[in-house]
Amino acid sequence: MEWLRTGFNTIVIGGAAVAWLFVSAVVASPFLWLKTSHKDRAVRKFVYIQSRGIVFFMQLASKGLRVETGQRPAGSSIIVANHASALDLYTIGAFGFDNVVYITKGWVFKLPFFRYVMEGAGYIDAEKTPPSQMLELCRKAVQNGCDIVLFPQGSRKDPHARFKSGAFYLAEQLQLPVIPVAIAGTQHMLAAGQFWIKPAKIVLKTFSAISPQSYSGELGHLHMAQDVKKQIMDFVDQQSD
Amino acid sequence: MITREEIIKQTNDALKNEFEFTDEQLVPTAQLKDDLCLDSLDAVDMVVVLEQKFGVTLRQGYDLRTIVTLNDLYDFIEKLAKTHHK
Repeated sequence: MEWLRTGFNTIVIGGAAVAWLFVSAVVASPFLWLKTSHKDRAVRKFVYIQSRGIVFFMQLASKGLRVETGQRPAGSSIIVANHASALDLYTIGAFGFDNVVYITKGWVFKLPFFRYVMEGAGYIDAEKTPPSQMLELCRKAVQNGCDIVLFPQGSRKDPHARFKSGAFYLAEQLQLPVIPVAIAGTQHMLAAGQFWIKPAKIVLKTFSAISPQSYSGELGHLHMAQDVKKQIMDFVDQQSD
Repeated sequence: MITREEIIKQTNDALKNEFEFTDEQLVPTAQLKDDLCLDSLDAVDMVVVLEQKFGVTLRQGYDLRTIVTLNDLYDFIEKLAKTHHK
């Protein structure tokens, strides 16, 4: 019966999710367009609402979706998560982070429609932005009360890929805590390059924030990246067992 | 003086430990940017890792942009080790 559920998930729930993204965008666009102040903040809130909707559809398509939220530190944070599915982007909304700036690869900014949302929300193109400007853009986002989200693996191809240290370098430079986020099960629901949405158990978890001050020396950010990866992937692997 | 084989072994060990590379990836012709996907921050980290490993300074007075492949890196460290030995 798994194939029947997969078909239902893909055609009915997947279709409804795409319709949700489309209809919500059509309804919200005039309001966002007319807004004269804090437009970027409004677009980020809109993305959050869309994300909550997608998480709802994921729950319907899953064999159970559990969210474990740890205590959030006051102020802005750098949120880092593992990345194995296109669904991961939306899962950040499940934790209640409603004012986030994503730092993503350049190709996402070239997608039709999505590019307008990305630019409107003030998301940052990791490939086009020089390192010095990146730091300034992040600093500005933090001043506007945003959290910054990165997927340090950079790609969905290898679920166990290395965590690149850029996110942790940012945390070090901006003196922001890092919140590790584990996303388990989305790779079984919708793996990279797959079309069919399979039923899978999904667990989303935030860990306690880590201060960059806990790591010293020139390679502090590199070692923080290694530790955070271990913490996240140990949890993800445990859920797969 | 440290031999080329030791340089290759120690460099590869450091890269495996700090950047999670496998033996299969660490072939001499591997390009640091295109094959090993090291970005600019990784390159800086790699230099610090190798400085700590070999006890030399790589960042001053050298144009590290000429290092494209792993083999270039081995050559560079070997040359530096010889200079230090003199």
